[in-house]
Amino acid sequence: MLATPLLWLTATLGVFTLFDVISRRCNRHPLCHPVLWSTPVLIAALLATGTSYETYRTATFPLSFLLGPAVVGLAVPIWAERRRIRRLAVPIMLALGAGAVTSIVSAVSVLALFGAPLEMLATIAPRATTTPVAMAIAGQLGGIPALAAVIVLFAGVVGAMVATPLLDLLGVRDYRARGFATGVAAHGIGAARAFQVDATAGALASLGMALNAVATAALLSVMALLI
Amino acid sequence: MRACLIAIMLHAIFLLLVCQLTGEAIHRLTGLPLPGAVIGMVLLLAWLALVPRERPTLTAVSAWLTAHLAVMFVPAAVGLVDEGAALSLYGVGLVVATVTSTLLTLVVTALVFRWSLARHAPEAPE
Repeated sequence: MLATPLLWLTATLGVFTLFDVISRRCNRHPLCHPVLWSTPVLIAALLATGTSYETYRTATFPLSFLLGPAVVGLAVPIWAERRRIRRLAVPIMLALGAGAVTSIVSAVSVLALFGAPLEMLATIAPRATTTPVAMAIAGQLGGIPALAAVIVLFAGVVGAMVATPLLDLLGVRDYRARGFATGVAAHGIGAARAFQVDATAGALASLGMALNAVATAALLSVMALLI
Repeated sequence: MRACLIAIMLHAIFLLLVCQLTGEAIHRLTGLPLPGAVIGMVLLLAWLALVPRERPTLTAVSAWLTAHLAVMFVPAAVGLVDEGAALSLYGVGLVVATVTSTLLTLVVTALVFRWSLARHAPEAPE
């Protein structure tokens, strides 16, 4: 029983659904993100039953498999926003480039100050991208996909929580700038937060997330070739 | 009617999978260091531009996938169970680096966007 896909697939969906209901009750507060709470509960379940991660990973493969098509599907919202992208092409491209470079360079250099090895730097480098992309990039660069997933999640929660006060402090009032920055810095969790504040901010945040997935992947690929 | 709807849905799923598969093939054959799914995303974008038409089903299918992204990466996050050593060694560094990078990225992106908006895009109300 413990080794069948059915058990762990059911457990994962069950635990997630429970925390998803709680998250909705908390009005989708970033700290209530269902992944943040489902993960430790499922880890505890694995440890309590003496199940190896390998068994769990194989059992839940149908879920992780969907990540690939989901990433491909991000093209659809980018395409839907093409008119706005054309109109705001210069600000979008400049801000995207600056944001992607800032994110990679600051994350990697701060972590390097702690004496972390290359494996850890490769894990944190894609931290601003949406989780499936970060996992793919981290794996490719020789990092740890599982850790990348959690770092990305944490970055999203931090970004979603500080975006409003920080951008207020900077005096950035334009919702296009605010939304785009939130999406580039804090991917889907940031975008979800932006949608709560303003529809335009939400649309630009989704756009920022999707474009940064491509920009960070491309930048890191080039960097990997050069090193 | 219902069978027809399912056929259209399968078509959308097929399109997503073909893009991913082609992306994966390009990645392996050319050694292009982008992940296969990201190449697939670019391919789908090219396809949408080349064959422009209304695609309500593709929109619905990808919106469904995006809406349920969170549960799909739970299995990966649970992989932390095997990363105790890395976390105890570099946990603090990872937290500090992630927070610093997230705040800096927010600030830089917002400021560059605002600066460029004022300079390159004349008032274009949304």
